[in-house]
Amino acid sequence: MSKYFQVVRNTFQEYLVYRLNFIMWRVRTIIQFLLVYFLWLVIFQNNQVVFGYEKAQILTYILGVWVLRALVLATRTDGVGGEIARGDLSLYLLRPISYIKYWFSRDISDKIFNIGFFIVEAAILIFLLRPPLVFQANLLLILFTLVSIVLAALLLFGLSFLLGLHAFWAPESEWGGSRFLFNIVLEFLSGGLFPLDILPAFLFKFLQILPFSYLIFFPLNVYLGKLTTVQIFQGLVVMGFWLIVINWAIRLVWQRGLKVYSAVGR
Amino acid sequence: MLGSVKSLFRRQYQEVKAVDGVSFTIDEGELVGFIGPNGAGKTTTLKCLSGLLYPNSGIVSVLGFNPWQRKTEFQKQFALVMGQKNQLWWDLPAMETFILNKEIYEVPNEQFKKTLNELTRLLEVEEILKIQVRKLSLGQRMKCELIAALLHSPKVLFLDEPTIGLDVVMQKKMCDFIKEYNRRYKATIILTSHYMGDVKELCERVVIIDKGKIVFDGKLEEIIKKFADHKIISVTLAKEADPKKFDEIGKVEEYDYPRLIFSIKRKDVPGVAAQVLEKLPVADLNIEEPSIEDIIRELFTGKNYV
Amino acid sequence: MRLKRTIKKYLKVWYLMTAASFSSFIINRSMSVLLLSGKFLRFIFFLLFLYLLVGQTKALAGFSLNQVVFFFLTFNLIDILVQLFLRGIYKFRSLVVSGDLDLILVRPINVLFRSLACWTDLLDLITIIPLIIFMVIFVAQGKIVFSPIGILLYLLLIVNSFVLALAFHIFVAGIGVITFEVDNAIWLYRDISSMGRIPINVYMEPIRSLLTFVIPIAVLMTFPAKALMGLLSWQWVVFSFVISGVFLFGSLRFWKYALTQYSSASS
Repeated sequence: MSKYFQVVRNTFQEYLVYRLNFIMWRVRTIIQFLLVYFLWLVIFQNNQVVFGYEKAQILTYILGVWVLRALVLATRTDGVGGEIARGDLSLYLLRPISYIKYWFSRDISDKIFNIGFFIVEAAILIFLLRPPLVFQANLLLILFTLVSIVLAALLLFGLSFLLGLHAFWAPESEWGGSRFLFNIVLEFLSGGLFPLDILPAFLFKFLQILPFSYLIFFPLNVYLGKLTTVQIFQGLVVMGFWLIVINWAIRLVWQRGLKVYSAVGR
Repeated sequence: MLGSVKSLFRRQYQEVKAVDGVSFTIDEGELVGFIGPNGAGKTTTLKCLSGLLYPNSGIVSVLGFNPWQRKTEFQKQFALVMGQKNQLWWDLPAMETFILNKEIYEVPNEQFKKTLNELTRLLEVEEILKIQVRKLSLGQRMKCELIAALLHSPKVLFLDEPTIGLDVVMQKKMCDFIKEYNRRYKATIILTSHYMGDVKELCERVVIIDKGKIVFDGKLEEIIKKFADHKIISVTLAKEADPKKFDEIGKVEEYDYPRLIFSIKRKDVPGVAAQVLEKLPVADLNIEEPSIEDIIRELFTGKNYV
Repeated sequence: MRLKRTIKKYLKVWYLMTAASFSSFIINRSMSVLLLSGKFLRFIFFLLFLYLLVGQTKALAGFSLNQVVFFFLTFNLIDILVQLFLRGIYKFRSLVVSGDLDLILVRPINVLFRSLACWTDLLDLITIIPLIIFMVIFVAQGKIVFSPIGILLYLLLIVNSFVLALAFHIFVAGIGVITFEVDNAIWLYRDISSMGRIPINVYMEPIRSLLTFVIPIAVLMTFPAKALMGLLSWQWVVFSFVISGVFLFGSLRFWKYALTQYSSASS
């Protein structure tokens, strides 16, 4: 157990060394946030309610997206594919360390680090922009929100890790393309670009079957109080289901992948 | 961990002079070797000569040009080859890179063909030019790298560790080629290397750099005279002898029966040699100069700069 | 005569390098397909978003849906155009870090040209052609108001945008030479420029002024489309050209300075 704690520590220290990288990443996320924020602000200049959202709700949603990007979507597991493709995986296979736990520890470190920063940034942004926000008073809802965020983070980790594993089969230089595509699709399907319920109903219903909308859209809607208790439980059940499926898929793919890996003898 | 957090707020930087007061002149057609330990400043010097680095002070002049200005006429007349660095397109045959260089250096068609033929013949690579570079062995690749660098018939050639990573056969071939190139085209060549073998083989004149300063600049033989204050007496013993006796005679460098090697100060050599013949069962005795490698090694481990 | 020869030489070198990277594209087929799909989806998703949003609200900062879409299309056009010729910046960091930049610096060809312009991706050629066709049809169908002089100004300002983007890229390359850090800077540029997906008028002060005068994304992305629609006064047109010139000059000076600070990666 302590070795994974060490991994968390080391990842943390990496950030302090690559401080510029990190700061730039934060700056970039703020800029991405600003684009969407102002867009919606202008929309609400002439409208009161858009797609069933009031101004405060939408702006809270946008801020929430920005927060959840750092909490849920941010991951280091995009490095998994590269490690496998380059053959660096061997280093871990030789040692008494679980590859998935190793990466999970790294992600925990990642998220802790991010939390520290975005709390400060959020405070500054709220102070400067003074958006009308929804402050959820219902403690139960807050609890459900936190639960769904934790589940969402696990879900994202699983999905991203699974994607990385496909590098076992992908030819050496080509594993990066799928990550690119994955990120773009994820952005859209998770509700990171806009709240998914503005889409036509049939599309929206379909997306609710997939795991992606539970990464950002679902937790935020729980927070905003736009869901009934039944809907919340439904959502959590779907998330649980996907977690089980992905967990099973990872195990399967990992075993198969290792066979291929050793066969190629990297 | 605390150190890392500290460095988040204030970094301490130390100024390191890569080269300090390095000054020399090289004439046309010379083949000069630069030797020195890692980090001595050899590569930095070459980079200043190539115009890559901007010197804080001093003047650099190559072929009458200031390399830093990177004038096209200058760049067309010199070449920099760095062992381990590849400029060849990985997925394509070497020939494609040659054509690209031909365009970049504005080499006329006729001259290109002629030079290419000469070089490929000299290096024996005619058959591999159409094969993808990634499929070639390291030795073949190095040969092609060299050709790519020489297609524009440079008058000045800077070679940085050209034989690094090559097997002994390839190293010899490389050295032969460099020597031939120098002889045939009267090209001025500066070469840096860790392998004394290269330097001994190729260079009459040697410049030794350590910690950014020039320690020696002159003929190779002079190094021995200047720095080696001792000679080697190597003895082959006829039968086993008491090791205590060896220490009484002189400083033992190495003992591996029947070989025994003494390291003796020059002036003491006749006397010690006589003692050895007197006191030990000697089958054979040789008096030698220490190898250049040993001298250089001693130099770099900071023994003394006379 | 000298100039003509130099132009021929640069064209040839560009052609040879583009042909070589075309071979790489053929070799890495599935990667290219994935990248193409990704780029296409990214475009479609945002377009969908615009249609859903502005379609409902009927107007955005005074612009109609079609106008907003045209701004977005112009953004893509300029973005791909810049990618076409300046894509080498994404490889620049590895050039500097590995020391391969040295091999480029010693050759008699412009370093910026060789390192930035010579990594043209066939994919961008594939994506820009349908985009241009789509835009021509879009405009021809009268979805937005335009005039002949508007079209001329549009084209000129697109070229101007390219020059401005070039200045940014040169600046980033200079940063890369000094600090060995390129990726953050160039992605920062892309993020900021992606704020130009929607007309800059949307943003409040002081951001709007920042994006017009300090980091002139407004000039880069918004002004050409505005000129086409006849919404750009001549003062702003002049301003656009002047600011690109200033930035280009500044970036080249910075590049020259950066080279004096170059410390070269290898041992």
